Amino acid sequence: MTIRALEKISVGQNGIGSFILQCKRLDIHYCDHSGSSRGMNAFIKTHLSKFAQTHPAIEFAVSPRPRKHPVMIGHYINGRQKSICVANMEPSQILKKAELLRDASGDKVKRVNKPVTSVNESVRGIWSPYHGNGMAV
Amino acid sequence: MKRLRLDRVASQLLAATTSPAARLSRPSSISRSIPQTCRHASLYNTQPCQRRHQSTAASQAPLEEELFLEPQDGEPTPETLRGGPLPSPHPSRAASSAKLAALHARLSLSSKIPVETLARALVDPSADAHPKYNNANLAYVGSTVLHYYASESLIARYPRLPMSILFTAMKGYAGNPALHQVARAWGVESAAAPGEEVDPGLLQFDPMKPTVVMNKWGYVRAETIESQKFKSGKGLSGRVVYGSNPFGESSAAKALPNFEVDDGRNTKTMLLQNAPANAHANFVRAVIGAVHMHCGRDASKNFVKSHFLSRTLDLSNLFEFELPTRELARLCARENFEAPVARLESETGRLSRTPVFVVGIYSGRDKLGEAPGPDLDSARVAASINALKAWYLYSPGQVSVPSDTFAEDAAPWKPAYVDIGEIIS
Repeated sequence: MTIRALEKISVGQNGIGSFILQCKRLDIHYCDHSGSSRGMNAFIKTHLSKFAQTHPAIEFAVSPRPRKHPVMIGHYINGRQKSICVANMEPSQILKKAELLRDASGDKVKRVNKPVTSVNESVRGIWSPYHGNGMAV
Repeated sequence: MKRLRLDRVASQLLAATTSPAARLSRPSSISRSIPQTCRHASLYNTQPCQRRHQSTAASQAPLEEELFLEPQDGEPTPETLRGGPLPSPHPSRAASSAKLAALHARLSLSSKIPVETLARALVDPSADAHPKYNNANLAYVGSTVLHYYASESLIARYPRLPMSILFTAMKGYAGNPALHQVARAWGVESAAAPGEEVDPGLLQFDPMKPTVVMNKWGYVRAETIESQKFKSGKGLSGRVVYGSNPFGESSAAKALPNFEVDDGRNTKTMLLQNAPANAHANFVRAVIGAVHMHCGRDASKNFVKSHFLSRTLDLSNLFEFELPTRELARLCARENFEAPVARLESETGRLSRTPVFVVGIYSGRDKLGEAPGPDLDSARVAASINALKAWYLYSPGQVSVPSDTFAEDAAPWKPAYVDIGEIIS
């Protein structure tokens, strides 16, 4: 037996084969009396049921938070959360923020300065100085 | 290859019957008895537990009638059945769980799969030992489906894969660690402790209690126990013959104590190494089983393909050779190639601190492999490793697999090329 096997685990990439929405839960907090929650209360009354219907993969939890600004908190599959204070916003602005939370991956915001990130090795290969005709110095 | 008869294996999952044998095989520590008044033929309501009938669901009016029936002679009353709370949440609570509905939608499961089945898939045998409420049976169906599709795709795609690499690749795609990662990527949360009051959308398991390890199911040869005792059968051919799981691991010695029924014999062999990983993996298998049972073979094949076989595993990283040069020589002899010869192709800085030699391995006029190295010998070894990997990882590209012929209008099966095996030297 000259071949031994090293144990490795396969790596999944979301979106290859299957896509799992990373936002799994959206907490929506409002206050009945404060003026900063006026937009949020309107959002809950007008937009939220339709938004929740179109996103069955997200668990929505609406709860009051008296005497505090309205907040939306997204919980993500990687265990992190992202919260946005939506005080004094219009319902349409709050909808934009809810879509932002829905589309986020939950990762920390990273600077992406490479056009392609891949787990596959380069098709062209790495340039080697030891092959070909060489360079005249 | 033998065709899977899953419909026969798992028919009890779709139509629960209360056979006397099933009644006898229930764990003795849980004393539920089957009332004869069970008359509802749906999957979850024919459950042999009086206490489960104390449902407040409005659609189950007959059950509530039944609740107020006077117990007949010889029939135990709910009070005498069990005093404490249920070990896992009542199936009727599944419909009202937001977490469960979100999980169902997140996995894009078909509406043919009821949330109650998904809720059952989340109950590990360590949380609820009753086989009609835990996921053991579904997970067994799921594991056979997963192992079948994973092995056929690996063998058809890489027909020359050595046996040990095949076992490890199977483990990389369908083993416990991989399925644990899949469950975490699905966003499954686990409950702090199992119980009746837990949200049905949480994975329920108890690390301190016995559970079912899915590798230990199936047929175990009688002589396996003897061979375990004398530590034989540990070589690769022993793993092929005696291995009781698709990863070539023989687990007969550990399978001896019955994992489902615990009578306090807490020996070392009964302790599970990683209970959370096992519970998560069993949940994933149970979801595959549920897809297979409710949506059929094609749906389960698509599910396995999209969630498991689409994952990336670089098989060339799994190889570890002991004597690659000798093995390459034996391979060339077996295949009637000319004996391999190492030739120096290029070099630089031979007398410097960091020399580089590029060595190619040739068989006659054919170049089998090439590698750079810091000295001549290691470059030659690396080149023969590359040549061997090029042989073992040969792939005919996209080929059909046996399960493609399951379709009604499928062309007859054309046997795929599978190599005679690796070099044994």
